[in-house]
Amino acid sequence: MHIPVFERGIIPPDPVAPDSLKGIPRQKTNPSRWQGDNWQDFVRDLQSRGVTVCEGRADCSVFMTDAGGVAYSLPHGVVRPNSAEDISKVLRAAQAHRVPVTTRGGGLTTEGESVAFGGLLLDMSSMNRVLEINSDAMTVRTQAGIFWHQLAEILRRDNLDYLSAPLNLTASVGGTLGVGGIDVNSPRLGCSADQAVVLQVVTPTGDIVNCSERENPDLMERVLFGYGQFGVITEATLKIRKFTPITIQYFYYSSLRTAIEDLQFIAREDASDYSGILTILDRAITLLVAFDSDEREREFNTRWKRSLRGHGEAGFGLRMAGHYTMHPWRIKEAAYIIGRRFKLFPEFWRPEFMHHGKIIDRTVVFSRAVWKFWGGPQMVIPDLSSKAEKFVEAVERGNAVCRKYFRHYTLYCVGIKLRGRLPRYEMSCIPPDASDIAYGCEFEPMLRGTNYSRDYLQSFKNEIYDIGVDMGLSYYRFGGMMKGYIRRAMGDELVDKHLAMKKAADPAMVLNAEVIF
Amino acid sequence: MSHTRKGRARALQGGATIEDIAASVDACLLCGSCEPVCPEGIGIASMNMEQRSKLNKLRTNYPPWYPKPSGINTRIKDNALHNSIILIAGEYPGFDIKAHSNVIKLLGGNKKVSLAADDGRDIAGLLEAGLPVSQDRIDNFIRPLRHADKLVVPEGLLHVPLRKWLSGKKVIGIGEALLSSAHIRKALGPEDLYIIECRGYHSDYERLVKFYDRLRKETGCQTNLDLQRIAIPTGASSLQAKKDVEAAGCLEQARWIIRGRSMKRIVVEDIADLDVFQRVADVPVIHISQFSGDNS
Ligand SMILES: Cc1cc2nc3c(=O)[nH]c(=O)nc-3n(C[C@H](O)[C@H](O)[C@H](O)COP(=O)(O)OP(=O)(O)OC[C@H]3O[C@@H](n4cnc5c(N)ncnc54)[C@H](O)[C@@H]3O)c2cc1C
Repeated sequence: MHIPVFERGIIPPDPVAPDSLKGIPRQKTNPSRWQGDNWQDFVRDLQSRGVTVCEGRADCSVFMTDAGGVAYSLPHGVVRPNSAEDISKVLRAAQAHRVPVTTRGGGLTTEGESVAFGGLLLDMSSMNRVLEINSDAMTVRTQAGIFWHQLAEILRRDNLDYLSAPLNLTASVGGTLGVGGIDVNSPRLGCSADQAVVLQVVTPTGDIVNCSERENPDLMERVLFGYGQFGVITEATLKIRKFTPITIQYFYYSSLRTAIEDLQFIAREDASDYSGILTILDRAITLLVAFDSDEREREFNTRWKRSLRGHGEAGFGLRMAGHYTMHPWRIKEAAYIIGRRFKLFPEFWRPEFMHHGKIIDRTVVFSRAVWKFWGGPQMVIPDLSSKAEKFVEAVERGNAVCRKYFRHYTLYCVGIKLRGRLPRYEMSCIPPDASDIAYGCEFEPMLRGTNYSRDYLQSFKNEIYDIGVDMGLSYYRFGGMMKGYIRRAMGDELVDKHLAMKKAADPAMVLNAEVIF
Repeated sequence: MSHTRKGRARALQGGATIEDIAASVDACLLCGSCEPVCPEGIGIASMNMEQRSKLNKLRTNYPPWYPKPSGINTRIKDNALHNSIILIAGEYPGFDIKAHSNVIKLLGGNKKVSLAADDGRDIAGLLEAGLPVSQDRIDNFIRPLRHADKLVVPEGLLHVPLRKWLSGKKVIGIGEALLSSAHIRKALGPEDLYIIECRGYHSDYERLVKFYDRLRKETGCQTNLDLQRIAIPTGASSLQAKKDVEAAGCLEQARWIIRGRSMKRIVVEDIADLDVFQRVADVPVIHISQFSGDNS
């Protein structure tokens, strides 16, 4: 392989950097830090308009990475806005001085999408008030920096609940609407982004605009799933519902394919209110099915349960015992499954979260389990999303990649109900060819206890994403470190169309500049 | 500056000094609620106290709510107490000698329960501020307690240190102690809002979350537990609140706790919460020690 020689000071084109090992191509994944041109003028400008920019090391370092803990960089300063007007001033000044602005909610991205590589970081967590609960229209109007968990706390005082949100406690409403937001009830209720009725948005040029499907619908369609490219969401009116405790049933499988087929069957038939797959190993797969009401559960029991091919816990235990008796050299695997089962499952029926056999606060129960068993200082969660027909193959191929890289990992599969083919789904985690229900699978290695290098993790992610390119799929996390895949996966035509829209909306290309384009 | 533990950790990781994050370190009310929800199981509350003490070594200008680092040498004469239960409760408005004797009666009477003359209040203050406490003072405090099986300690901040200093002793809060009596539990009902003392609760969360869950199921009372079963603090016991209860955000927190609830009475475990809830609620507020045959 020929490695070109570059003069000092000249940055070569990817993929081979001069400092990489000979013959080993190295992909540049993080943008260079913005150099700070005009920063001081920008700060003075904002100060004169009454916006405080915190530039201290402590203020900036708080945001040095995201939940992934793989991408690191510092902003030059941080603004904690109090209002849409503050954000408008920030963006107007940013356009004038060409200073990049990165929006951050809970910072739960894993590819550095909410990390500022220099410039200004807009910390939306300061805008966290619920503005109005309308129990006639069953909507809530809230500032967009609020975490879903805070929102749930407030709604619960009125015995209400949100519809669907990510399974963690500290994702913000705005950040989630910007990426999609998938819950175990998404096969029925769709993404969080599809629960938004009205948004208040500050455009990249600083206009404060309301949008909905009737008012400024184009902006609405661009901002939802828009990765913060087309505006900062400052307020959202979301659909809500009556709070209900849930009941869960578990089905155990030793074949991924069978489990996925059953998951798809349940979603297609609308047989449950919640469904999802979690694996311990690819021989121990749990299909979780849950219900908001006894009637729904009864209907499931009489109409659909018998068609599922999964086992109850005892039956599955016996089968596993049989399997490992025949394969005694794999006894460590069995020990891992049993250990994990005894640690993980009690989390789902802790008595303080149960009442009369039902789970109250499902979001807390799931989110605690997610953080406790899959969280950590470093997380990589590559994913594939596909239409129903391609999903089994995508998961099986992804599973093979996981097995190659890690001893222990979890797959999490869930369906996503679509509202037809809305423009918002274009260039998003929703695959282009999906109709009715799309499916997503996250591939989550257990990283705790081992120090994997960044390159190792990146290679793993790349192999998963290569499957997406090969099969024409999409990804939930396609920005930040994975943006090298956008053109390959989504095609030049679509990307150029969105780039043109972005340039028109954001002439200086300052808002979330490095996230997608 | 972020006031979360993670924010502080990140700031230090990014090269900030402890003085750079002083405002955040000082702002912590040490309610302990961060600890049980930490997925990594980190002892965050004690880390915060350590950070405060580290910070104090570098400064002489303490926040105005700090106790005077006066080298207090309280020498309260307390002979060894030989009863199996010792109540370590000082006198406060609303929790005076009369209330103490009521508690003693409820816990089993004078034959079973002794009242410690030394309530360790100064020690709690110094620990909370991250100021040094002399070993002599600690010894003096714990010496009379050695023979007891169980210590009933309303001041939640002392639970963890007492468990360390007197390992093997059962240290419980006043709420748990009194609620062990069926008579008291019967006095609670769905129209009561029961306010759990946060520091003690979070210091023994795994056990107490079950205890209070049973209480809730048995009596139907409402509590200040949030959806994660963390006790929402008012912060009224904190040093900051002792200086200025409003500036410490206690009234705002209390308002949030009662928001949207329908209740006829508020029962508090922490005596400092009495005043806070009386200021924001329009229903009677009582301390758990006030439960007796007639008012319950
Ligand atoms: C442990 C773990 C579990 C997770 N589980 C789930 C899950 O179950 N389902 C799921 O869908 N996701 C899940 N995620 C991903 C994560 O929840 C989503 O990425 C998330 O909803 C992001 O919300 P956030 O507030 O953290 O956004 P951030 O990470 O702060 O930002 C996300 C993107 O949106 C932009 N943005 C932030 N705020 C705004 C705003 N107000 N206006 C416009 N743009 C904005 C940011 O610039 C960034 O590009 C998980 C992540 C982790 C680490």
